[in-house]
Amino acid sequence: MQFWNYLIIRLIQAIFVTLLVVTIVFFVSRSVGNPEATMLPPLATSAEDKERFRELLGLNDPIYVQYGNFLLDLAQGDFGTSWRGGGTSTLDSIADRALNTIKLGAAGMVFALALAVPLGIIAALKRGTSVDWLARFVAVIGQATPSFWLGLMMIFFFAVGLGWFPTGGAKEGFRSLILPALALGLFEMVAIMRLTRSGMIEVMDTDFVRTARAKGLSERAVIWRHGVRHALLPVITMLGLSLGRLIGGTVIIEMVFAWPGIGRLIIDSILKNDFPMVQASIIVLAASIALANLLVDVSYRAIDPRIRAGAV
Amino acid sequence: MAQQAAATAPVQPARQRRRIRWRRWLGLSLPALIALAVLVTGLLADVLQMHDPEFIDLAARLQPPVFDGGTWDHPLGTDDIGRDIYSRLLHGARVSLIVVGIVVPGAALFGTLIGLISGWVGGSTGQLLMRVVDVQLALPAILFAVLLASLIGPSLTNVILILLVWTWPSYARLVRAEVLSLKERDFVTASRSVGAGGWWIMRKHLFPNVLNTVVIVMTLEVALVILAEAALSFLSVGVPPGTASWGRMISEGRDTMNVAWWPIWLPGLTLLIISLTGNLMGDWIRDALDPRLRNLR
Repeated sequence: MQFWNYLIIRLIQAIFVTLLVVTIVFFVSRSVGNPEATMLPPLATSAEDKERFRELLGLNDPIYVQYGNFLLDLAQGDFGTSWRGGGTSTLDSIADRALNTIKLGAAGMVFALALAVPLGIIAALKRGTSVDWLARFVAVIGQATPSFWLGLMMIFFFAVGLGWFPTGGAKEGFRSLILPALALGLFEMVAIMRLTRSGMIEVMDTDFVRTARAKGLSERAVIWRHGVRHALLPVITMLGLSLGRLIGGTVIIEMVFAWPGIGRLIIDSILKNDFPMVQASIIVLAASIALANLLVDVSYRAIDPRIRAGAV
Repeated sequence: MAQQAAATAPVQPARQRRRIRWRRWLGLSLPALIALAVLVTGLLADVLQMHDPEFIDLAARLQPPVFDGGTWDHPLGTDDIGRDIYSRLLHGARVSLIVVGIVVPGAALFGTLIGLISGWVGGSTGQLLMRVVDVQLALPAILFAVLLASLIGPSLTNVILILLVWTWPSYARLVRAEVLSLKERDFVTASRSVGAGGWWIMRKHLFPNVLNTVVIVMTLEVALVILAEAALSFLSVGVPPGTASWGRMISEGRDTMNVAWWPIWLPGLTLLIISLTGNLMGDWIRDALDPRLRNLR
């Protein structure tokens, strides 16, 4: 019962946070943006044209009326109609783009985890050897490399130079996914590897690992059953933070690789002053980040009983 | 034989000790030297420059650096519209310095204050402040930067504003966590029992105890802020067009990436070395002040 109460409270908080984000975007864009200047053709200069344009988009109402209308529509599941592209519903365009972003983010995460966890474990078990040294060297360099520069260099070497992958876009399916996923995942890979390594070193020094060895378990069982399972707990927490960072990171990577995701959609819409599109896509983005945070909190409560006891 | 062993035995540890000391010295002094160099070049960019960083000379476009067949007139070559890369790198250091110099202390101050209050007051006020952190988390800073830049035009002020908004929550969250455990300690209870007020306890007991953490986060944030500024400028929502910034130089260099390596490699490598330096110094200061925080990032 207590769990359900907690879940409902957190869900309400997540909705509240999303609404607040959208409200900020709504008021900032409408109070400073000027759709007339960017959307009307250069010849439409008469006051009459401008008036008709403003009337059509509902920009003549006071801003609180516009906001009220926006919220009313939202409550009925209407996310608005794009001001561009012949009145298409914003949600339709977003669904496609969001799917691409999810693909990219998931591929980046899979790459990061698949490389970071084994590397971190090996580095910890062979502490002080050349493997460990190499892993730490990669970590230090990887953490300092700007992802957009790395992306450009990858395009330069692997797409332009060697021709193994396309230089951008998402037209070639899996092949076009590889480079952006690598560039996106590198930073998270380094962070997860460092965490796995330090967690593993710590846990292998504890009493219960010594006990496990003393009672005659094979080294393999000690490492997997006692070591890795504990070393990965903080990694799960870290994944929550990573999700947020990854979504922010995709925006840059999408720009570098011309990847048709939601980040590029938002940037394009902002530049075109397409307010309904900006609002709708920011709702989707903010809601998914809020949900990701919630999911991590909930799953952590399920994994670690100590948190359940305390007041979170 | 025995004589030889006796002679070599004490030499070995001494040499080893010297080697460790030398490595530790290099580990700190090399980053420190680079940081100092950035500081000096940033401050003295006007004196050290060889050309106006924004002077366009189409006749001298894409000149290679001096070690790749260029002339000493442009020691690090020129970009696609003939601007001197050496001078632009110097002025890029100045942009980074300004941003770091305002954002890091500013965010630390604000975040620490919010963390102290939210941790000490607790209850619904504390919860409310932490929800503000959540709002910030749910809005990728880059999108907000694009929004601001498209509405009021890209500017250095925007960059600073956005990075302030972006970075303060990490201080607030850490400080709050520390305060929550500190306020149960005996010395705080004792101070409260003799009638000390909230502000007094925050100033005299809580703040000195969280200072270490704040300093460590500040040093680790330096590289992060430099990279973030570069990313924003790369997306052309950072510094205005024409301004020399490392991120903007990379974005300008990519059009000619296939014919000239230097316009994109030189600012990229500079960024890499600088943020590496920042991280190494941050690690060193963290180990010196508080080795327990090794898992902070």
